[in-house]
Amino acid sequence: MSKIRRKESLGSNTFLMAVSAVILGLVAGAILMAMIGSNPFSGFSYLFRGGLMNIERIGNTMATATTLMLVGLSVAFAFKTGLFNIGASGQMLVGGLCATIVAHKVFLPRPLFLVVLIGSGLLGGAIWGVIPGILKARFNVHEVVATIMMNWIAYWSVYYFVPAYLKGPSLETESASIAITQSLRAPWLTKLFHGSYMNLGFFIAIVCVILVKFILDKTTLGFGLKAVGFNRHCAEYAGIRVNRNVVISMMIAGALAGLAGLTFYTGYSRNMQIGVLPSQGFDGIAVALLGASNPIGVFFSSLFFGILQSGKGFMNAMTSVPPEIADTIIATIIYFTATSVLFGRIWESIFKRRRKSAKEEQ
Amino acid sequence: MKKLFAVLCVLLALSFSLFAQGTKEAGKSALRVGMVTDAGTIDDKSFNQGTWEGIVRAQKDFNLDVKYLKPQGTTEADYLKEIGNLVDAGYTMIICPGFKFETALFEAQDKYPNTKFVILDGEPHSADYSVFRIEKNVVGLYWAEHQSGFLAGLAAALQIKDGDFGFIGGMEIPAVQKFNWGFQQGVRYANANYKTNIRMDQVNNLYQGTFDNISAGQQIAAAMYDRGVDVIFAAAGGVGVGVINEAKNRGSSGQKVWVIGVDVDQYAEGLMPNGKSIILTSAMKYLDRASYDMIVDELNGRFPGGEILHLDATNDGVGIPVENPNLDKSVMDEVAKVFAKLKSGEVKVADKGDGLFK
Repeated sequence: MSKIRRKESLGSNTFLMAVSAVILGLVAGAILMAMIGSNPFSGFSYLFRGGLMNIERIGNTMATATTLMLVGLSVAFAFKTGLFNIGASGQMLVGGLCATIVAHKVFLPRPLFLVVLIGSGLLGGAIWGVIPGILKARFNVHEVVATIMMNWIAYWSVYYFVPAYLKGPSLETESASIAITQSLRAPWLTKLFHGSYMNLGFFIAIVCVILVKFILDKTTLGFGLKAVGFNRHCAEYAGIRVNRNVVISMMIAGALAGLAGLTFYTGYSRNMQIGVLPSQGFDGIAVALLGASNPIGVFFSSLFFGILQSGKGFMNAMTSVPPEIADTIIATIIYFTATSVLFGRIWESIFKRRRKSAKEEQ
Repeated sequence: MKKLFAVLCVLLALSFSLFAQGTKEAGKSALRVGMVTDAGTIDDKSFNQGTWEGIVRAQKDFNLDVKYLKPQGTTEADYLKEIGNLVDAGYTMIICPGFKFETALFEAQDKYPNTKFVILDGEPHSADYSVFRIEKNVVGLYWAEHQSGFLAGLAAALQIKDGDFGFIGGMEIPAVQKFNWGFQQGVRYANANYKTNIRMDQVNNLYQGTFDNISAGQQIAAAMYDRGVDVIFAAAGGVGVGVINEAKNRGSSGQKVWVIGVDVDQYAEGLMPNGKSIILTSAMKYLDRASYDMIVDELNGRFPGGEILHLDATNDGVGIPVENPNLDKSVMDEVAKVFAKLKSGEVKVADKGDGLFK
């Protein structure tokens, strides 16, 4: 009986689920590489070396992970309240747009400026998140539909605002490049990481991981949010104001995605392009799933995806694995992580059946 | 389970043997040529593909090691990352197709002084355009798109003789604008000197705003053809693919419509089920010649580092395809005559839009 109980706990162990999904994804990727005639071992070794080979590459991996981490946190936070925030891309765009405007138009002493800059990204994302939240709470509009629509509103708003007010000297399609002193880049960080894209955003992300963990685990607010996520009706019956929690949850999720936009557009790329819905908004869903919607889990899974994203170019350069296959491999890993919830269920049902038969034997 | 394991083992063994071959091939030539793609894929039937074809031709002729990388996005950071990947992987010459690489190369030329760079359609400068500086390891290439558009417009006008022409551009950037302006001048030249009756209108002359919105291209083309336009010149990357699709649909159902391709010979793109192509001709920039020539120069130790080269009719950098199955022999002959005049400077094409449709 004790043996069965141990197995059962394995089935519900999210860490194990995540690791098994990653391993399965890597194995699938390896088979794919072998099928096109490349050596999977050298392929993966280049993939990971590309992400971690030297200080500069580690810095780039961390910078890539920063955005994914914040988006992952955003999606995970909404998940906790039973909401599916598919609008992180739009929230990123609006947060990034607000931050870009501030970076171009506001000139203050550096510490004060950073506060305003971060606040603008946070606020932009929060507004974009709170609208679907209110729609959900007041009119029961499904948040998936609302957030997708908000994505496109953001997309076309950027399409208008950037060429109209922020464009560079000649290029119509992207904003003027932000000066280093007006961005999240810091000379000492760039130097420390040998000229990589590493920026202050990483520390923002770390603070957010800790804050979200604290809110969810240690506060009444977090308890209420999670209660709504577990069972809406039960929470309502217990006296928790469900609608208020839905709005707050979407607002915080939006703010986190807005910060992701801030780190991406004023830290990583330093300009905004029109006609691009940032793919990180969707990658963040995979990050949240792999991290089991746990802030600490999101931290590690975003680093993992960061390695894959920034390492794949080096893999392409060193092996005969064509870039398209590298993307397929990453997609396969995402696919397996996305279905990791399903794995859990499958494992569980297997254990249950075993337990049943064990009981019958007794 | 055992079977699966066995299959995996076989696959692994297979891959090891292939890898062993791969390592043997590695040391075949000193020059390794890399390319970073611009927005779009390597088979975009446009910039990326044209450039890459030249590289592949050089690979065949000189047994080189070549590779292209596709960046995650199209920001300077994305480009620099892929350039770094190629440099770290030992590529000594990197070709970048497109003006979007200008700022990335501005940094890369100092960061990787031992790597040779070629940028098509641009030259390195700082992000705010305050500093233009080209180092000894970089070559910038420009094309005379207006001459190319001129020749295509002329050829189309001579072939159609009486009809309405339209233009669909991608983003409103200098290269695309010059195609547009040259095209209009070509049509005017034909009307003035060859008594053709080609009409153009501002309504049928517009920029879609992106290079990748295929469905928008299709819709705009449909509206133009409905307004009675016979020939559309699509200088619009992926948007142009939508234009070609729409024309193919109409052409397949018997309607008489045409498309003029851009950058590379797009004839094969316009093939319909009946074996004919909807592509009348193409306004070409001989991208493949440029990348090929640059590689040859580097192999011969004559890499024109630090220079900005202008490719036009005088050095056969632009023109319409050598073979145009949809154009009459007489039209081709006339175009060749005008091309000679362009070369000698007798005919001039302005790269400005004064007095032309936007």
